Amino acid sequence: MARTKGYPEALEKKLADTRLYEDESHPEFTKTVEKISMTIPHMCFQCGTCTASCPSAPRSSYRIRKFVRRALLGLEDEALTDPDLWLCTTCYSCTDRCPRDIAPTDVIMAMRNLAFKRDIIPVNFLKTVQAIYTTGHGVPNNDVNRAARKKLGMNADPPTTHAFPQYVKGIQYILDYYELKKNADRIVKEREG
Amino acid sequence: MREYAFFLGCIAPNRYPGAESASYKTAEKLGIKLLDLEGASCCPAPGAFGSIDLDIWYAMAARNLVLAEQMKKDIALICNGCYKSIWEVNHKLKHHPELKERVNEVLKGIDMEFKGTIDVWHLAELFYDPEIVGVQKIRDSVTVSLEGTRIAVHYGCHLMKPKKERHFGTTEHPTWLEEMVAALGAEPVEYRNKMLCCGAGGGVRGYDIVHSLDITNEKMINLMEAKVDALTEVCPFCQLQFDRGQIEIEEKFGVKYGLPVLHYCELLGLAQGMSPQELALDLHGISCEPFLQKVL
Repeated sequence: MARTKGYPEALEKKLADTRLYEDESHPEFTKTVEKISMTIPHMCFQCGTCTASCPSAPRSSYRIRKFVRRALLGLEDEALTDPDLWLCTTCYSCTDRCPRDIAPTDVIMAMRNLAFKRDIIPVNFLKTVQAIYTTGHGVPNNDVNRAARKKLGMNADPPTTHAFPQYVKGIQYILDYYELKKNADRIVKEREG
Repeated sequence: MREYAFFLGCIAPNRYPGAESASYKTAEKLGIKLLDLEGASCCPAPGAFGSIDLDIWYAMAARNLVLAEQMKKDIALICNGCYKSIWEVNHKLKHHPELKERVNEVLKGIDMEFKGTIDVWHLAELFYDPEIVGVQKIRDSVTVSLEGTRIAVHYGCHLMKPKKERHFGTTEHPTWLEEMVAALGAEPVEYRNKMLCCGAGGGVRGYDIVHSLDITNEKMINLMEAKVDALTEVCPFCQLQFDRGQIEIEEKFGVKYGLPVLHYCELLGLAQGMSPQELALDLHGISCEPFLQKVL
């Protein structure tokens, strides 16, 4: 869990600081992000090392520093509805370089989790889920590849859920436990008809 | 002979089967036997599943881990994305009892329990580890030296980063893979911003392909500047991004590079005498011919 002195009292104190308040602030958002991400965006002093390390920053308006600030200020709507949220490649360069020992990458992942609870999610993420639900693989086998495998003296299907499809039902159980397939199907249908 | 459960992932077996085939064969020559991990699935994709719901990512990865626990074997794998899911979830579940409990609550429904009895390794780190294989043994296994070729290394992100949770030391300027390239007789080549991401991760490849390829293109520019004959990596997803990505870059940006991209296991396979046919190099998007002509 978060590596900082006096946690979580230090966070409570910071959240009680009215200078950090904006009308749209939800202090609960800050706490939820810290709980899911297991990191400490409230320690950020906005040096910008993260943005300077980010491969997505030079080619878009995505600013990881801004998202970390939003986490501290509790700017839930602003953070979760910003399409830039999905431009993090999760390369962890910011995390490795943060002088405050924060993992900005994990802040982004936590925000994406919270966005998904509001159905905010790019469909390509859900299509990966659908593929795994059916075959166990996010990138399933195909005929060209099957032929190539045979030529290499291997079985046409690898010894995964492809050759042992009886294991797929365990995967379906897990995904159904969280109702993920149901939600994925619903959202994809809403978007694409 | 050390034995490991071989976690295949998706892209190696289903897009670059030569990388899978080379892994079995090269590892065996170095004293490592890779065993089938029956019923394993996608790791699952850390970008997609981690973004949707980390709890589901933990549970799905845990199912794969339990399969290896049942075999009583450590896992070896050849993909950084898989390493992120399988290594990291194993690590997290071992160190956070409340998380483990939550995951086991789900796994109970399929008669499984995560116990935390095995470890997870990238095959490249096993190759580099002098107590398991080591660079000298790799050098000794070479029958077709790659002498006269200039090869650049792409480390990828999820094997070594975040460095505080991993055990690889520096992520700013590592050189251990270069040592493994030099062991094959090739000249490892440094290039600008070596540790830059390939651009594919975090779901970005699917979300915004042009943005994703623009990152790849920056790497390609830096690689061409260093005049390399080939790029090697230890992650089939990075491989896909650089290999098929070059075709997409040509379509979208009108720039053609033609740089061969080989998984380290494929490269090692060549150096150990495997033929391009045995490595299914013809399945690569970018022809490896110019590179092969230099070595064969």
